Amino acid sequence: MNTEDKSGDAVDRKIVTFTLGKQMFGIEMGSLIEIREWEEPTPIPTVPSFIKGVTNLRGNVVPVVGLAERLGWEPSAIHPRSCILVVSIGGKHAGFLVDEVTDIVNIGSQEVQPAPDVEIGEPHVIHGLVRIAARGTDGSKREHMQMVLLLDLDALSLTSHLDLAA
Amino acid sequence: MNDDMDDIQAIFFEECAEGLTTAEEGLSAMQAGDVSAETIAGVFRAVHSIKGGAGAFGHADLTAFAHRFENVLDEVRAGKIVPTAGVIKVMLSAFDLLSDHVAAAQGQAGRPADAAMLEALDKVLADKGVAEDGDAPLAAAPVAAAPVEAAPAPADDADEFGFQPIGVSLEDFDAPAEPVAEGDWIVRYAPARGDLANAGEPLLVVREVESLGGQVIAVDTGALPSLRDLDTEESYFAWTLRVPGTVEQTSIADCFDFVSPDTRVEIVREEAAPLPTGAAATLSGVDDLDAMLSMVQTIAAATTEAPAAPAPEEAPAKAAERAPEAASQTIRVDLAKLDLLLNLVGELVIRNSILSDRLSSADQQRVELPELARLTRQIQDNVMSLRAQPIRQAFSRVPRMLRDLGAETGKTINLETTGETTEVDKGVIEKIGDPLTHMIRNAADHGIESPEERIAAGKNPEGTIHLSAEQRGARIFVRVKDDGRGINREKVFAKAVEKGIVAADAQLSNEEIDQLICAPGFSTADTISNISGRGVGMDVVRSNVEALGGRVEIQSTPGQGTTFTMILPLTLAILDGMIVRLAGQRFVLPLAHVIETVQPESGQVKRTSPTTEVIDNRGDFLPVKRATEIFGLNDDRPIEDSLVVIVESEAAGHVGIVVDTIDDRREVVIKSLDQNLHPIRGLGGATILGDGSIALILDIEALVSAPVPAPRYALKGIAA
Repeated sequence: MNTEDKSGDAVDRKIVTFTLGKQMFGIEMGSLIEIREWEEPTPIPTVPSFIKGVTNLRGNVVPVVGLAERLGWEPSAIHPRSCILVVSIGGKHAGFLVDEVTDIVNIGSQEVQPAPDVEIGEPHVIHGLVRIAARGTDGSKREHMQMVLLLDLDALSLTSHLDLAA
Repeated sequence: MNDDMDDIQAIFFEECAEGLTTAEEGLSAMQAGDVSAETIAGVFRAVHSIKGGAGAFGHADLTAFAHRFENVLDEVRAGKIVPTAGVIKVMLSAFDLLSDHVAAAQGQAGRPADAAMLEALDKVLADKGVAEDGDAPLAAAPVAAAPVEAAPAPADDADEFGFQPIGVSLEDFDAPAEPVAEGDWIVRYAPARGDLANAGEPLLVVREVESLGGQVIAVDTGALPSLRDLDTEESYFAWTLRVPGTVEQTSIADCFDFVSPDTRVEIVREEAAPLPTGAAATLSGVDDLDAMLSMVQTIAAATTEAPAAPAPEEAPAKAAERAPEAASQTIRVDLAKLDLLLNLVGELVIRNSILSDRLSSADQQRVELPELARLTRQIQDNVMSLRAQPIRQAFSRVPRMLRDLGAETGKTINLETTGETTEVDKGVIEKIGDPLTHMIRNAADHGIESPEERIAAGKNPEGTIHLSAEQRGARIFVRVKDDGRGINREKVFAKAVEKGIVAADAQLSNEEIDQLICAPGFSTADTISNISGRGVGMDVVRSNVEALGGRVEIQSTPGQGTTFTMILPLTLAILDGMIVRLAGQRFVLPLAHVIETVQPESGQVKRTSPTTEVIDNRGDFLPVKRATEIFGLNDDRPIEDSLVVIVESEAAGHVGIVVDTIDDRREVVIKSLDQNLHPIRGLGGATILGDGSIALILDIEALVSAPVPAPRYALKGIAA
């Protein structure tokens, strides 16, 4: 679903934004299946620690991933607004533990800047940066611009880590 | 859309598989001596349908081959080729090649070389073709260039040539129309060759005469050329009809108002002595009708070139009359939809148990929960049965395999099957194919002796393999029994010692020795034959069967044969399990493996090395595994407070597994983990418990053979 037509005009796309610690991230709306409240998953032995376990998603057994930990940040602490983004990656389902889901925003493709080459760790997991006008969380109506890291879910390649675990 | 096309193709290949099964069954029946018209027609229809579908999807090779095969079948069906053993043999080989063609069309194999087979088919056709030409044209009215109908009826497949409505029943002939004083009219009607091209409709004419009370008493098919020369645009038939003498001649003549000028029409009074002639006419009429029927089929087949329309006109009608089983109606459903339904029902069951957990028993009665639970259970059973399929599907490739094996080994092996209708979950059927193949190969290659050897042993030179399936409770028993030489235990033992599988001085029972042939890397074949030399053997059978939660039993009587029995669960969707706790977390231990549970006393579990322990179980020292260690779970519970579940594993025999407690025993719905995750060593899946939480299912085989302790995997850097 890429977003530039031949004239170079950007086509809007919808991004779900959420926070992990102080960072704001975004994923394509299209890959989101649902947002659920945090619920302690059933731990699975012998898998990487960022896999928190499996949970029951309407009869399907779905892994829950600590996304912050997966990306190398401090593991998320569980708090009342913690939630699970259930996403579809290449036909497989996974749940991401995130701190808070903030918004659904439209962005134009020309607004997306490529992630800097100096990106450390896994390349391409962050496939772009975009600035959005964020609503103040403190109740103020004043908007401020905020950087959103766009995640490439395919590049996260959750499953290759699970291969190692198996 | 491409996807749609793929879906339709998938349906076509499914139908191909069904068609091949039917054809093979029919051919096997023919080989066994059943050459009834029904059987032959069944094979013909199957091949014909495959051809039709293949044409529609542009599988040219498959279409071409099926067409040539069909030609022969058609002649057999028409009685022009006698299905001798030789002919049936050619057809069986042709069938094998047809299967190969289907596989090739599916992209599973390369295009098979079919030139020799085509030649063989053509030869069969040609040899009989001579005889066919010699056949005196049938009876009656030597209307010279007797033409007639074969009208591609107006775009109506269901009645392609409009033949079937000619209402002639044999009773009509047994009781011919009452002779009238004046004598009946005999009407001879021979449409001109080109009548059809001029929009002539012979059938309508015949019907009109019939509406006057006329009856067709003979059809002259003498002008019908051999199949290859048939031009479907031409009319080849001529009719002789009898019309009651009371009908005015002009009324009869009116029927022919619109025929083309070249058409020959004769209306004459039947001569004296109407009765005897009538009787004779009746008889020849009957003959002619039979002959005509086959002609009609011949033409119908030859002209159904137009792809698609897999013989819709004859299949339903005939199938209905010949097979009472066909009376039950079926519907084709996407397996994914069934699985979804099964999942939903599984959830319903779970919600039910959640409710019963939360409600007091009084409340349960008040809301009729037990009733709801019963109903839910019934729905679950029924949905499960929807996935059930006769095991025949798994058996269907065996005859072909045996023919190949027979050709390769020079042995003649007869196949007997029983219980093919036993129903098993589709998933199981798909997965027993490989083990079954290996077992059959083993029986054909190692079990059954060469003909000379068999004669020397006073046996029938032809070997027999008996393949059977039966259901016992929640398990299915699939047996492969041969009447071969049995397992040579001395040789097996010697080989096992040679391969270092057992110690030279080991004392083994006969059964234990028999089991050795399932040991990894074991093969008794002195020379590696083309068949067995694929680097795999019975150990693959055993591991595959175990992966399905089943086991393999071997019984052998020297000189009399060997029986391999696969004992499998009926379904892969449900498991009888024991809910246990490991470090406080609930797991499901498959009950099929459990032998007994031991509450260890102090000193009963001993260390034999820093990482290995044994339990003294009534004098037997059994290895003990701590699943908590393998899984890296924190567990400092003293062994005396734990339970040791003694399980039976194929790989390691009896092994004790340490668990905290046993909570419950129940049937669980198996959810695959690798649907969304990759397989995890030691885990066979997951299930959803009554409270909606997940319990992981232990994979006993992986657990007992796991290295202890497995290092806990740590992600080193995010670039791993």
